[in-house]
Amino acid sequence: MNRFWRWVAGILGVLFLAAFAVLSFIAGSPKDAYGMVRYALPHMHRGTLKVGSDAPDARIVALDGVSRFHIRERTHERPLVLVFGSFT
Amino acid sequence: MTVYVREAHPTDEWQMKSNVKDDVCYAQPKTLAQRVAIANDFTKRFKFPLPFGIDDMSNAANDAYAAWPERIYIIDESGRIAYRGGMGPFNYKPEEAREWLAARYGAVKHDAPKSPADEAPPRPRPAAPAK
Repeated sequence: MNRFWRWVAGILGVLFLAAFAVLSFIAGSPKDAYGMVRYALPHMHRGTLKVGSDAPDARIVALDGVSRFHIRERTHERPLVLVFGSFT
Repeated sequence: MTVYVREAHPTDEWQMKSNVKDDVCYAQPKTLAQRVAIANDFTKRFKFPLPFGIDDMSNAANDAYAAWPERIYIIDESGRIAYRGGMGPFNYKPEEAREWLAARYGAVKHDAPKSPADEAPPRPRPAAPAK
């Protein structure tokens, strides 16, 4: 039994290292792989919106930091392209 | 309209070498004022010409649209999602959205803008302290 569990642990260890190596290659370095797992993956969601869904509304802050408006206020009569992103 | 959401590669999380190279180094905003300040830095640095808004600290827009780190949607005249872009960065494809718009509304008769990084002026640095 001990031998069995040693094999299981060994195989899992090899799989973990292989997965980390692949992730490091994709992300660019082991540090980036850690950053991706620690900071990016928890915030990345496919979402439930589909083509044809009602566009959700949300309150948005203007660049002056004071004024507010709603996304749906901008969707009358013309299509609206929404581009989400950040500086970094 | 561009909506600024939480930072993707802040200095206190997963900063990338390219952020240092491009001199885009910010900590993750903890307050709305910090978010507004970074958004204003962005629009001024790139002379950003498009309508711009900022997701508030509840991340309501981000959550509603599963937007982070970057994503494109097109809402049609009836208020429905007409185009849903993929999750960035790997499936963030502005050219696909452009083609979708051209197919539905007709091609735009101007060249695609250059990458902002190609046109960005260097960020002003604080003056050295007087000796």
